[in-house]
Amino acid sequence: MDDQELIGRVLAGDPNAERALYDAHVDRVFRLVYRMAGDLDRAQDYTQETFIRAFARLREFRGEAALSTWLGSIAISIALNGLRKVRRLRDREVALDAVPPMGRMTPEAEPDLKVRLAQAIDGLPDGYRAVFVMHDVEGYTHEEIATSLGVHPGTSKAQLFRARARLRDALADFAKE
Amino acid sequence: MLDDRLDDQLRDAAKDYNDPPETPRDLMWERIVAERAEKTDRSSVLPIRPLRHLRPLWWAAGIAAVLALGIGLGRLSINRTPLAAPAPIATGTTPRVGNAAYQVATAEHLSQSEAFLTLFRASVRQGGNEQLASATARQLLATNRLLLDSPAANDGKTRLLLQDLELVLAEIAQLTPQPRSRDLDLITEGLERGGVMSRLRTAVPSGPSTTQGAL
Repeated sequence: MDDQELIGRVLAGDPNAERALYDAHVDRVFRLVYRMAGDLDRAQDYTQETFIRAFARLREFRGEAALSTWLGSIAISIALNGLRKVRRLRDREVALDAVPPMGRMTPEAEPDLKVRLAQAIDGLPDGYRAVFVMHDVEGYTHEEIATSLGVHPGTSKAQLFRARARLRDALADFAKE
Repeated sequence: MLDDRLDDQLRDAAKDYNDPPETPRDLMWERIVAERAEKTDRSSVLPIRPLRHLRPLWWAAGIAAVLALGIGLGRLSINRTPLAAPAPIATGTTPRVGNAAYQVATAEHLSQSEAFLTLFRASVRQGGNEQLASATARQLLATNRLLLDSPAANDGKTRLLLQDLELVLAEIAQLTPQPRSRDLDLITEGLERGGVMSRLRTAVPSGPSTTQGAL
């Protein structure tokens, strides 16, 4: 059954179709928000919120983009908003406790490229990180990313280019080894 | 310049970035079902009258839309003068300056969004060109996301309104230069079905500016 048929059945009130739609797309949504959040609880929250909002707005889905892209745009929006809140809260807690900032380990404490890369990706601005994760990690096309983030495909490409450049700068010492 | 070997290493290593575990499908589905049931219960307390009952009054709605458009544009362009006394913000306690600032920003944003959506809807009805709408929607969408991320969204009613508004603005922002009329109709129908316009108007303070002087 294709997405359009499934949507029609969901809109007609078929609960089995709702579950089928969820099953068809939940992995991709969960993978994306988990990559962004890096935390199981938050990834679950964002995934749930994505589908709650999607079901509430399904009648407005125009079919111009794929359903998966539409779901991705809701998911990334929820994840970015949620993560900004978490970061703000965390920053406040850090300021109160006067704890030194995390993510700046000494070179001796950095075991390998993956750990360093993860820290460098975490340190990217939200927009760059979203594009990098969607394209280089999850394999979205620039067209899908552009639709999801509400930007032009050229913007997506430019942000990916800059994200990669930042990561190269952050990990330049590996090139010398 | 980094060599190609590091590029390849980076690409491989990136695949392990926040590597997701198996999707907890059933657990999340149970929560989704419960949350949706709860929302349905909440909304059934205050049923919204379907707008199709108002279909015979489309001509009146058209006039109202034009009037609202004028009011909205006026709000966008008016050179505001301070009120004699600052209008109170209905919080029950004296708001702190920080909260008042968010309330002012929210009221301004909702006012602009209301004006924009009224203009958009009127334009769609008259078969106008929606090319400019997409750019404006992007700007409003950016502000909307900032507000959703701010203490302004701590109030549940405001948060729900901003969330619904976000989806509408995102749909308009994604319109192609030559959108299909069906797409435009779906957006305007969505506006009415979700009660977004009426909720916006309820949320937007009336008068020249009730938020003026709140700081």
